[in-house]
Amino acid sequence: MAKKIKNAIPVVIIAIVLAAAFARFDFLPSIGDPDAPAHTRTSDYYIEHAVKDTNSPNYVTAVIVDYRAFDTMLETTVMFLAGLGVVILLASRPDPKARIIKPRKFTENREHLGAPAYQSINKDVMIKIIEPLILIYAVYVLFHGEVSLGGGFQAGALIGMVYIIDTMVSPGTISLIRLPKERSVALAGAGTFIYTLTGILTLVGGGVFLEYGKLPFSMSFEEKHSTGILMVEVGVTIGVMATIITILNAIHERARFDDDK
Amino acid sequence: MHSLILEAILLMALIAITLVVIFDKDLLAAVVTYCAFSFITMFLYIVMGAPDVAFTEAVIGVISTIYFVISLRNIDRRCK
Amino acid sequence: MTNNMSGISVFLADKGIYFLTAFLLVLGIYGMITCKNYMKKLICMNIMQVAVIFFFLCFGQKNGGTIPVQVTGLMGARHYINPLPHGLMLTAIVVSLGTTGVGLALLTRIKEKYGSIEEDDIIKGENKF
Repeated sequence: MAKKIKNAIPVVIIAIVLAAAFARFDFLPSIGDPDAPAHTRTSDYYIEHAVKDTNSPNYVTAVIVDYRAFDTMLETTVMFLAGLGVVILLASRPDPKARIIKPRKFTENREHLGAPAYQSINKDVMIKIIEPLILIYAVYVLFHGEVSLGGGFQAGALIGMVYIIDTMVSPGTISLIRLPKERSVALAGAGTFIYTLTGILTLVGGGVFLEYGKLPFSMSFEEKHSTGILMVEVGVTIGVMATIITILNAIHERARFDDDK
Repeated sequence: MHSLILEAILLMALIAITLVVIFDKDLLAAVVTYCAFSFITMFLYIVMGAPDVAFTEAVIGVISTIYFVISLRNIDRRCK
Repeated sequence: MTNNMSGISVFLADKGIYFLTAFLLVLGIYGMITCKNYMKKLICMNIMQVAVIFFFLCFGQKNGGTIPVQVTGLMGARHYINPLPHGLMLTAIVVSLGTTGVGLALLTRIKEKYGSIEEDDIIKGENKF
């Protein structure tokens, strides 16, 4: 009986909080109202002047990479630091008694990953057909981020997913490209460095930090904005891709597939 | 396309999936149900009119589920 | 679609959707408190994050607005959805991926040290209570 009361306390507290919040929901604006306070300050300026200032018809890309480029730089730094944290946490040599799970004993006939049936699926379908298509799509999304939907984050995550497919599918779980976790975290740092380098170039050209109109190239104003956005998005792509590869390699090394030899 | 009734239906489906994730005793089933959760939130973002966010959520949901499944290799699948 | 909003649409717009979002958030918090397995707590953290992101995206809606990519011939800020919450939420989703990765790395180390990831076994292993 005491256990039932102890289990019911979180439910009661949460029900009280929910009822109190529901009674006071009238201070929130109704959804879809065009005069809500969220629409009246700076969003109208961003929508009306985006194409003139930044030469990019996609308003979301214009906001995150041009008007608020400082936030995206610090977000790339956070991704790099997350990868660094994972590498530091899992850097020690694992205890052999604690790590290996006991391989199960199968009594029937089992195909292991190097058998010819698996090899034809891996080589003919995944590596020859699916991975190049995903890579081409990722490069398209990166370069068209400012005209249609897309951008740096999506392209980086797609390239990271290609690496994951490659690792999972190869027999013996050794991928085509050897990237241990220390090298890929350095690659993530390179992505952050490319982003900051664009900002320093604009300082050299005589403008404020990350003001693409003052890059020291000899182009017109719109082309400078497009080039600046492209360089910055390449930095974001490399950062996100390398962090995904780092976390995968770090977690993967500790979980050995012992019964697949 | 902005339709409030469709959003309400998708949100109620999300709440049902959350109850499955909390009260299940098998960890692998919970992780695969989390993949379904991520898929339905992608539809929700499309109905709200945010295709950039939906694209990002689709890719990152799959990657997050793969991380969970790989790290489940060291851990028992039963849960009290 | 913009002028003939029936009674249920008005109720949903004012309070219904916010209530469902708050319910999802509260279910996530309840799952984090009640589940004794650490991996389920990580999954419930991601569920809470979806509720918060949806709440932010609710604020950017406009009746009769289209997606925030410029269509030639459609001028004015009245016809496009607010792009500012979309930008903030893109960053939030990508950062949550890094948070999940670090959480799973911690989980692996806890498993190696204590032998299990149930809360009762870890408290017994610590011998503090």
